[in-house]
Amino acid sequence: MERDSEGDKWNRFWEVKGAYRLNFRTLTLLYNITAPATTQRQFTLHHRRRTTVTMAEFLDLEIQDSVRMPWNVLPGTKADAANCFIPVSAVYTPLKPLPATTPLLPYSPLRCRNCRSVINPFSIVDFSSVNKIWICSFCLQRNHFPPHYQSISDQNLPAELFPQYTTIEYETSANEKPQAGSSNVFLFVVDTCVIEEELGYLKSAMLQVLGMVPENCLIGLITFGTYVHIHELGFGQIPKVHVFKGTKEVTKDQLLEQMGFFANRTRPTTGVIAGVRDGLSQESIARFLLPASDCEFVLNSILEELQRDPWPVPPDQRAARCTGTALSLAAHLLGVCVPGNGARIMAFLGGPSTEGPGSIVSKNLSEPIRSHKDLDKDSAPTYHKAVKFYETLSKQLVHQGHVLDIFACALDQVGVAELKVAVEKTGGLVVLAESFGHSVFKESLRRVFHSGDHDLGLSSNGIFEISCSKDIKIQGIIGPCASLDKKGPLCSETVIGQGNTTAWKLCGLDKTTSLCLIFDVIKKESPDVLAQSANNQFFFQFLTYYQHGSGQMRLRATTLSRRWVAGTGIKDDLISGFDQEAAAVVMARQVSFKMETEAEFDPIRWLDKSLIHICTRFGEYQKDSPSSFTLSPRLSIFPQFMFNLRRSQFIQVFNNSPDETAYFRMILNRENVANSVVMIQPSLISYSFHSGPEPALLDVASIAADKILLLDSYFTIVVFHGSTVAQWRKAGYHELPEHQAFANLLQAPRDDADSIIRERFPVPRLVICDQHGSQARFLLAKLNPSATYNSDAPAVPGGDIIFTDDVSFEVFLDHLQRLAVQ
Amino acid sequence: MATPGGPRPRNFPPNYNPNALANNMQNLQINQQQSNNLGGNAPRAPPNSTPFGQQPPPFTGSRPGPPPPGVFPRGPMPPNAPTQTTLPPNMMPARPTGPPTVSQPPPFGSRPPPPGAFGGPAAPSPSGPGPRPGPFSSYPMTSGPNMSGSGLVNNGPPSFAPGMAQSGPPRFPPAMGSVTRPLVGPPQSPTYLSSGPSSQPPQMRPSFGSPPAGVSSAMGQPAPPFSAPPQNMPPPPGSSPFSAPAPGVLQPSGSPYGMQTWPPQPQQVGPPPPIPGPMQQQPMFGMPPGGPPLPNQSMSLNQTGQSKIDPNQIPRLTPSSAVILHETRQGNQANPPPPATSDYIVKDTGNCSPRYMRCTINQIPCTVDLLSTSAMQLALLVQPLALPHPSEEPIHVVDFGESGPVRCSRCKGYINPFVKFIDQGRQFICNLCGFTDATPRDYHCNLGPDGRRRDADERPELCRGTVEFVATKEYMVRDPMPAVFFFLIDVSMNAIQTGATAAACSAINQVIANLPEGPRTMVGIATFDCTIHFYNLKRASQQPLMLIVPDVQDVYTPLESDVIVQLAECRQHLEILLESIPTMFQSNRTADSAFGAAVKAAFLAMKSTGGKLLVFQSVLPSIGIGSLSAREAEGRSNISAGEKEAHKLLQPVDKTLKTMAIEFAEYQVCVDLFITTQTYVDIASLSVVPRTTGGQVYYYYPFSAVSDTAKLYNDLRWNVTRPQGFEAVMRVRCSQIDCDKTIMVSLKHDDKLQEGTECSFQCALLYTTVYGQRRIRVSTLSLPCTNMLSNLFRSADLDTQFACMLKQAASEIPSAPLAQVRDQVTNVCINILYSYRKFCATVSSSGQLILPEALKLLPQYALALLKSTGLRSDGRIDDRSFWINYVLPLPTPLVIPLVYPRMIAIHDLDEKELDDSIIPTPIPLSTEHITDEGIYLLENGEDCLIYVGNSVQPNILQQLFGISSVEEISNQFMLQQYDNSLSKKLNAIVNEIRRHRCSYLRLRLCKKGDPSGMTFLSYLVEDKTPSGLSYIEYLIHIHRQIQSKMA
Repeated sequence: MERDSEGDKWNRFWEVKGAYRLNFRTLTLLYNITAPATTQRQFTLHHRRRTTVTMAEFLDLEIQDSVRMPWNVLPGTKADAANCFIPVSAVYTPLKPLPATTPLLPYSPLRCRNCRSVINPFSIVDFSSVNKIWICSFCLQRNHFPPHYQSISDQNLPAELFPQYTTIEYETSANEKPQAGSSNVFLFVVDTCVIEEELGYLKSAMLQVLGMVPENCLIGLITFGTYVHIHELGFGQIPKVHVFKGTKEVTKDQLLEQMGFFANRTRPTTGVIAGVRDGLSQESIARFLLPASDCEFVLNSILEELQRDPWPVPPDQRAARCTGTALSLAAHLLGVCVPGNGARIMAFLGGPSTEGPGSIVSKNLSEPIRSHKDLDKDSAPTYHKAVKFYETLSKQLVHQGHVLDIFACALDQVGVAELKVAVEKTGGLVVLAESFGHSVFKESLRRVFHSGDHDLGLSSNGIFEISCSKDIKIQGIIGPCASLDKKGPLCSETVIGQGNTTAWKLCGLDKTTSLCLIFDVIKKESPDVLAQSANNQFFFQFLTYYQHGSGQMRLRATTLSRRWVAGTGIKDDLISGFDQEAAAVVMARQVSFKMETEAEFDPIRWLDKSLIHICTRFGEYQKDSPSSFTLSPRLSIFPQFMFNLRRSQFIQVFNNSPDETAYFRMILNRENVANSVVMIQPSLISYSFHSGPEPALLDVASIAADKILLLDSYFTIVVFHGSTVAQWRKAGYHELPEHQAFANLLQAPRDDADSIIRERFPVPRLVICDQHGSQARFLLAKLNPSATYNSDAPAVPGGDIIFTDDVSFEVFLDHLQRLAVQ
Repeated sequence: MATPGGPRPRNFPPNYNPNALANNMQNLQINQQQSNNLGGNAPRAPPNSTPFGQQPPPFTGSRPGPPPPGVFPRGPMPPNAPTQTTLPPNMMPARPTGPPTVSQPPPFGSRPPPPGAFGGPAAPSPSGPGPRPGPFSSYPMTSGPNMSGSGLVNNGPPSFAPGMAQSGPPRFPPAMGSVTRPLVGPPQSPTYLSSGPSSQPPQMRPSFGSPPAGVSSAMGQPAPPFSAPPQNMPPPPGSSPFSAPAPGVLQPSGSPYGMQTWPPQPQQVGPPPPIPGPMQQQPMFGMPPGGPPLPNQSMSLNQTGQSKIDPNQIPRLTPSSAVILHETRQGNQANPPPPATSDYIVKDTGNCSPRYMRCTINQIPCTVDLLSTSAMQLALLVQPLALPHPSEEPIHVVDFGESGPVRCSRCKGYINPFVKFIDQGRQFICNLCGFTDATPRDYHCNLGPDGRRRDADERPELCRGTVEFVATKEYMVRDPMPAVFFFLIDVSMNAIQTGATAAACSAINQVIANLPEGPRTMVGIATFDCTIHFYNLKRASQQPLMLIVPDVQDVYTPLESDVIVQLAECRQHLEILLESIPTMFQSNRTADSAFGAAVKAAFLAMKSTGGKLLVFQSVLPSIGIGSLSAREAEGRSNISAGEKEAHKLLQPVDKTLKTMAIEFAEYQVCVDLFITTQTYVDIASLSVVPRTTGGQVYYYYPFSAVSDTAKLYNDLRWNVTRPQGFEAVMRVRCSQIDCDKTIMVSLKHDDKLQEGTECSFQCALLYTTVYGQRRIRVSTLSLPCTNMLSNLFRSADLDTQFACMLKQAASEIPSAPLAQVRDQVTNVCINILYSYRKFCATVSSSGQLILPEALKLLPQYALALLKSTGLRSDGRIDDRSFWINYVLPLPTPLVIPLVYPRMIAIHDLDEKELDDSIIPTPIPLSTEHITDEGIYLLENGEDCLIYVGNSVQPNILQQLFGISSVEEISNQFMLQQYDNSLSKKLNAIVNEIRRHRCSYLRLRLCKKGDPSGMTFLSYLVEDKTPSGLSYIEYLIHIHRQIQSKMA
């Protein structure tokens, strides 16, 4: 029973629950300073020292198992779970780098012959019998070890049984050597309906990147505008392009036929036709997809000569752009050439699709592109059709195991909202910028191909599976994956996100791809439940197979154990395991999902209701006495997260275009907890002569004339100079040797901003602004409006006020307390 | 260059090098230029020259239009020159000199008065007009005048004599004015007819040419060809022939000559051996086709007699090599044109040149009844952009400035020489509709005493039958279109492997060099197999970009611009591309061909401008829009069921291509189709596209890379560089029309016409020249009206009538059973002759077959037509389809040779004295004239067969072909020039024919006893064949039919 020690450890750990109860408001403020910390930034941003004890526990857990759960002590019965409002769930980052000490096992894992789960440190091993046996922690099946495990003993354990290796990675059998075709494939899909200048930017960005593509990667090129051009890169004599009409959908069969894949041989009469294994000749494939080293020259010359779409555009019309057809052809091409092998379609879009399937707006300029209002009123004529088209596309891509990445660079919308489904289900990357010349695009693109410290760790062809104890079921996953429709007893009847399955496809995944798994506790309340304390553990196992960037197939197994509690008096137990950050992130993903899928859904109402219920359930108060209300420190910041979430771009969509909203949500859905929290509640750091950099309240009150503020709202990083600082800078003091200190002050936030930018993908937009300048809005919009134009208190000298009618956090809390105690 | 003459004999290895071929062709080209013979070269020079005509340098000055840069196609050609410039002088010699020709004189000579007499006759002639008796007298007349000049019997030439043109003979006394004959004189013989039949001699319209005068002279001749001579000859040699002729006239003279009924004396023919020879008249006809006097030809064709007919005396075409000078109007009368096949020079004196418009009958019947009685057809054959003779005056270009040409406000007819100005020139009466219009103020001019405007002679539009008006803005829907040439090349497996692609590429590559390089010349190129490959020719890099359109069901053009580019901007790309296409597709294994889709796609690329689309197709289109099936094979397999429906195979299989073609035409896209194939390609269906769009079909079957490459090049070259116009609007809307297009317009009476008036026809063609000017070419023809049937027969234009017959038959072939079409041809022939017999030649004995002089060759042509590819039942479907297509727009001058090819002996070239003409006298198409020792060349304007007998002397073979025995002859034949006079002459002949026909000719070598020999023999239309009658039998057949009708 040693295995139990793991769970016990956690139980004990949680025993040390907070003995102190601060006024939660104070704590909130304090927390605000520290919350956005990410493990990495703790190293880089030296000022984050005050991480509360509480969070550290969760962070350590995350380091080991790449998982954050709102409830680390689980409600043990269905009723208890329902009372918790925030579902039993986990935010799991499958490919988060493991501690350097964790070995990569060069063999295939042992699997339970009954439920196929993988042997893990929680498995009970019987070394005593002649035939050594291990017992599956999920189905209790007794399994024999294979012969080559015969030498194990409790002194001689294989790595997968080491207690600290609850997460471990296998490199599956060496005989599955990466084949010739299994290197990564990049199919560039380039929009040419852009102005000359933009095309120039795009070309130079791509040319730069071409040099970074690993030599063994295959590359293909499709350009499109009114028509789709599939370039033959492997044709010696003259450059060759297959031209498809933008308005017409082409099937994969037609593509096979029309592009001459059977030109020199007879077509097999039956069977799936795709790839070399199915009878396509390598030469016919090599016309379109070539190793980077072979086609660099051709590709360079094609790109250099790339012209704008030559079809004339009447002044009252939008360019004819057939994004949908281009993407569909790209999918067909990959499906024909490299099915089942990791491949990415990288689409560079410079405007809305107006032609053919998947178009999002008519060519007529008098018809504006759909807004949230149009979507709400269902008055966007092409929206549903387009979404349906991209859904079909996503199914095809998922089937083929290919990824769609979107680089949308235009002042206008390009249709990210419609494309979202295809990007998200395939685990694609998405970058939204105003221009191909913008650093957000250029740097992000470079990051994709960057190798080294901050590489994305792009992997492909992932399959994600979950096993768990029998009293838990799986509702679904909110995140960049697609259901594989593997139904089983573990599937809950309640479905959210990609549900009704225990296996998911992750066509593309990287180091930060994080899935939000939502569970259902189904154990019925029964008297003897509590009695069996020995058995109050739930086990979870997450298995991720994927094609590593090196081309090898790997399997990562994470096995978790959590204690559950049931019955009355479990409130404190639950609170002790409550991870506020994870909870906020799960709430954010849930509410975003519901906004997109449930008609008439009122997110504010739903969030408020949930918050009030949680406060009522877990707060300490005397009924009907708001002033008596207090929250445990484990819960104390949660209301502020909710306050900021209510004001965030995820909920307040009307300030944004549907494309932007879709973009924000896609990023939210694939980021880990720490990054997501920054999206929900930005971090603010203040720099002044008086002290080093220090966290500041996310409040308008933090603005001061002699300070510099650094706001990180994830998508945007704002360096805000107080008015005095701005004046000094304009006067050029920082260039004078005697004012080196001022120069240092100016530089410090820039350095910090740079370090954030370096490690983040998509690269955030950097805004450098001065107090009272027009760009200052990027900061003001995120601050708590404690001082507005109609607040009684006069503004602090050198401070600022916000022109808004939004309620401030104080008002919000007052209401919350009042409602919670009713 | 060892052999300057022509393509070198080379052993082409299996995988011949296209470039080698190309080089050869170039050599050929060069040589030809040097020799001036090349059909292609000289005449076509157009690129630089004025839009259409290539005027002889002299004229250039006068040219209003774009000044021809001085590159005169023909001008430079000295060799030809003789015929043209020096005409007058030549003329003379032509006949007389030729010893053999001398025979001609006989007719005249035979005349009563001895040569010397001529002078005399002349005088009488004037008076002669009225009275017929004169057949003879008149005879002399015509000749007389001429004779006087030269002393030569022959007629025509003299008239040309310098200055002679009008003043001379023709200008007879008063009435005579009409005597147009001088030139045509002889042919006019018909007049004779008119007079003859009815006793109405007096009535004879001068209109026709001096009827009287003409009568006499013209008539006689034709007859001669026939039997007539024999008998007549003896007495007064000349006289006899004539007698027969003018049936009408007969009464008087007739009897004496009546003898014509040869039946009895068949033998006699023989006796006067000398005569028959002369009789052949080849010379005679040649001259003035009509031949002198005789209006008719009569042949007695008793059953008994038939065997005794001397084949040599059957009416035959005897082309003349002499040039005729033709004034379109003389003495304010329409002058009947010379035969279409003759070599003539037109002086436009009011009526348009017959090249542009000619009528089946040169007098217009006043009533429908009259016309229907005649059984002839009234139709105009219009070829608005026909090539003028180099010596002709260029067409005047008239610019009315902003206001545009003066037109009738009611019928919109254009101002022309026949508009009558009244009221001191303040008003004018439209000759087309009779409406009176006010003369535009700035166009006003006083009238002279003769009632003509004083400026009439200075204004081309008032004195010329054909002028070109500069079109004003209101004639333009848009700016004149650029000259766009789009080449579409089949690169499917078969095309590549047979060398067709290489041949096409090399042809295009060379032709591009000939295109004008102005900013208005635009070029595009695409290739296709089961997909369509466009090429972006406008790129910074050295290489063009290939754009593949893979969807052949729903095609599109891959680029809006840059697929069709100004030639100047893409010449280099284009050359590189054309050179690399054959190798690029070298290993293409795609057998499918998406012709319809490719054409459609190319059309879409050209849609905005319009232009010429030149398609090179090698196999049956098997995929994509408008794909076809091998119907022929299917048809053959169930022949029992298909027999009745056989002609269906000659119809397009469905409407797909037709619909497409209509759209092409709408957007001014003209499709030319070059079919280089080894198999059935369903021309019936394919040809719809070129036909509907004003394009042309070229057919190379079976395609041989060795022997056809040069022709392909030359065809393409002519196609692209010949004078042509775009965006044409005529009565029939057609997108594009070129100098080889002829349009037939059938006329119907709306109302009665007034005797004694003239009837006008005007053809206005609005088009864009290759240089981008918008022009209206207006041709006006004014013909006299007549109430007399005899006039109709006399003024019938055989060539034009036969062309109509042929075209009608051709258009019916696809829709009616073959037998029916064949019967119809014979019936038309019979009906006309019957009408003549019944109403105009009643006197003749029923045992005689009487042929109106003007139409005496009708039966021969009809028979030839029955044996032509199109009406033969044993032909390949594609051959027949091609034939139909080829024939429909065929200009009249090429119609005759097509059915009745020209055959010449070439083994004895060295022995013959050729009177100036390069081409020796043709031989009748009968095996009787073929010997085993001989080598014969037969050409019909499209194909050229060289037949080698079994026992040809080896040295001749060696000289001509560089081989020592017949067995060495290869099917892949290329004519080459060796360093000996025989070979040089042969080459000269071939080149002369090419020049003359504006066609490069497909040369094939035929051996006796070989399938190719059979092909050759099938052209000998006078012979009896398993499925057809001999010429004599056919005449008898017709005769019997007429007899039975009479009875």
